[in-house]
Amino acid sequence: MDKNLHLESVIKTHQITKEKTLLDKHIQKKNEVKEALEEKYGSNLYSSFNSGSYAKNTAINTKFDFDLVSPFKRNAFGSNGTLKEMYENVYDFLYEKYKNVAEVKKQKVSIGLEFYADSDGDKIKIDVVPGRELNQDQYKDDENLNLYVYYKYGNIDAGSERIKTNVQSQISNIKDRADKEKDSIRKIIRLLKVWKNTKYNYPTKSFFLELITIKAFDNSTITGNLWDKLKAVMEYIKDNVTNDGFTLKDPGNSSNDLADTLTDGEKQQLANDMKNMLDRIEENDENIKTYFPENPKFKEEDKSKNKYSTNGGMPVPPPKLNFG
Amino acid sequence: MGDRVSEINTVIESIPDVKLIKPFVQGKFDIEGSISVFVEGLEQALNFDVSISPQYPFKSHDTETIKFSNDDLLEYKHIMGNGSICIHTAHSPVLSEKLGYDIASVKAWIKKYYINKDTDTHYEHLIISEKAFKGSHFAFFFNEVEYTFSKNQYGFVDYSTLSNGVFYKDKINSNIVQTFYDRNKKILADVKWNFQLKALSKSLGLFIFLKDAPSKNQRWVFDSWNEFEPLLSQDSLKFLHSIEKNAKKEKGKHLPLFVGYNITDKEIHWQVIMLEIGNFPIYGEKVNQQWLTMIDGNRSIDWAMTRNCSYKYFFGRGRLNEKLTNSRILIIGIGAIGSIVAKTLVRSGCTKVDFIDYDIKEPENICRSEYSFFTGITNKTNDLINELCLISPFFEPTKGGYEFSEAFDFLLKSHLTDTSIKEEIEKYLSEYDIIFDCSTDNDLLYVLSQLKINSTLFNLSISNHAKQLVCANEQNRYEFISTQFNGNVLEFDVDDLHNPTGCWNPTFKASYNDINTLVQLAIKHINLRFEQDKALRNFVIETDDTDCLTIKLKEF
Repeated sequence: MDKNLHLESVIKTHQITKEKTLLDKHIQKKNEVKEALEEKYGSNLYSSFNSGSYAKNTAINTKFDFDLVSPFKRNAFGSNGTLKEMYENVYDFLYEKYKNVAEVKKQKVSIGLEFYADSDGDKIKIDVVPGRELNQDQYKDDENLNLYVYYKYGNIDAGSERIKTNVQSQISNIKDRADKEKDSIRKIIRLLKVWKNTKYNYPTKSFFLELITIKAFDNSTITGNLWDKLKAVMEYIKDNVTNDGFTLKDPGNSSNDLADTLTDGEKQQLANDMKNMLDRIEENDENIKTYFPENPKFKEEDKSKNKYSTNGGMPVPPPKLNFG
Repeated sequence: MGDRVSEINTVIESIPDVKLIKPFVQGKFDIEGSISVFVEGLEQALNFDVSISPQYPFKSHDTETIKFSNDDLLEYKHIMGNGSICIHTAHSPVLSEKLGYDIASVKAWIKKYYINKDTDTHYEHLIISEKAFKGSHFAFFFNEVEYTFSKNQYGFVDYSTLSNGVFYKDKINSNIVQTFYDRNKKILADVKWNFQLKALSKSLGLFIFLKDAPSKNQRWVFDSWNEFEPLLSQDSLKFLHSIEKNAKKEKGKHLPLFVGYNITDKEIHWQVIMLEIGNFPIYGEKVNQQWLTMIDGNRSIDWAMTRNCSYKYFFGRGRLNEKLTNSRILIIGIGAIGSIVAKTLVRSGCTKVDFIDYDIKEPENICRSEYSFFTGITNKTNDLINELCLISPFFEPTKGGYEFSEAFDFLLKSHLTDTSIKEEIEKYLSEYDIIFDCSTDNDLLYVLSQLKINSTLFNLSISNHAKQLVCANEQNRYEFISTQFNGNVLEFDVDDLHNPTGCWNPTFKASYNDINTLVQLAIKHINLRFEQDKALRNFVIETDDTDCLTIKLKEF
């Protein structure tokens, strides 16, 4: 099989524009939440913005992540207000407002809103990320924010207030790349997200995969077709992620090291998973389908190929091949 | 033969610190002599009578064929009832070498238990000679109960007979303790066993909790009733008397008396004395105008065998990781793979295991699954529950059965688009920590892949001739299995299938050995990942039998 053709099809069948209706529902719901926050917090809140994969153009259509960053003013919760108070206040507000129509959950640095299925059975998910500028009125100048860590996040302890970031810089990190490289990086990030979605609750965040992909491009020679590039990135991850001193600097704040969001065991698992993938695909190209499946919903069937083999014109159904 | 005797004398004399006191001579069966053995730390050497059986230097079954005896050492640890030291040494077919090992072992015993008086970390049970009572041996199995007995507490027990078997050349009757009652027959503690054991018919016995072991030197159990005199209160003796008086019609029948004592602060052990109704070792005597119940001290005690069958001892020699044994497990499909998985889990310490299967066991299923011919045609679920109840006294099936299995399949497959029923099913399945889908029902595989379940789910299936075993446990189970079997990944014979007579549904060819080899390896790998606390990944076990058999596990 042609691995490259398959990967291109994976990208194509996972294009977010293929799920236009669902995408529009997400955009609409995100705007509703944004307006509700603005109404509640008024001038204490700067304009909320989308920071998720949609904003970075790395989204896939099997898992929408709409992260709504809400930048609060330094004194929004009093001059002595803590980040925890900010986080809890936003949670309480969202819980009261949406408790009857959505599951409202406290997550690592965000508050998750998972709206109950609508009449089409679609579930809209929006993550609200409350952040606070470092000093009163400074956000306009530097766009820096402090986040609250609700529960243990890799090596970062729960209750920690150490995550300072600049989400706009994170978004620009990919957007500002040269066009050709930007396209390759985005494709690889999308493929790695497709792979991550084959797992239950994979501990590696999408943002981690984004940064490590970019770092792989920065630190090794990545050329050739899509498979060659994906393979090179996977090899980079396998060979580097467990090394002592391996860091992944947050473009929003170079003192944030995303490598800290994984424990040593989780980094080892990530390296092992990369090794297994490379080995299994090396053994048999077909295994690439297991790791990087096309989205069956948008898969174009090869009409020229008869699914059942023919035998003198009589169709023969495929036999059962797995037993127990 | 003379050469053998003279070789033994020569070898013994050549061993440092060992002297011949009485040279070895050929007895009627054994070669016998006496030696002294000196070890640094002794004031003077210890003497031993030594007898060497004709099998020496080979063992007889699991027993050494040389005995070093000294009756004065009976009170020490690891001395057998006949006064001989309990030794187990390395194998050697060379007499001189084996004698060297055995004497070294005697020296080690003297150092450890005679000079240093070491105590072992594990508890050594009282020594009881295994004697038949009225023509049969008796064994009683007990389990820990959530009740604290007090010193000299007495009352009743219920016990049930498990089976009548053969103990070497004698009969043996094996029993389980079911319930402890106080003297007014109020329940004190119910003993936990599986539901089939609890349903057995019950007989009455008695108990007394002494707290201290009925032993001399914590080594030997009492052998005559007079040794009990300081321990049994007048109240407890009167209780025995009243029991015997009220059971006159049962004269001649046996009645077990459970004698309990602490072996650690928290753990108690039970020994059983066999009593005969109408022949209790007690009598009445008038003392100061008052009738007292006295012990007939000259009578010897008939001890039965007891075994502590609580979970930690029953599975003490080996079990799976606690993440498996503590889990509530559902097995869907109990054909060849599913029944092997079920039996392995239950034999390895899992207790909460349910099954779903609508199928009937036929005679031709038996050759490669965990069913027996004896039970004939019956539902697989019923049959497997019976099989597993025979194995583990702790097996607790809670749900399952034929009707449940039919309803499960119908509800799951016909209501996939019904949100509320789907959620109910998801909730129900999520109550299981682990689900093994061994049904090889690809429709079910698909349906399960569409559900949001918190359980860890394993799908196990194999290819024809058991060439490969595929285990899927990740979110992409459906795609993974489809790719492995129906893509161009796994290579196996698709034509040489088994066609049962009168059946249009061909099945795979593979023996119990073929299948079990792969299933055990799969369970071992899953257990390892739990032990290592590592994430589970889909995996394939591939066999290659072109030359020597090779088996390779590939994780994805």
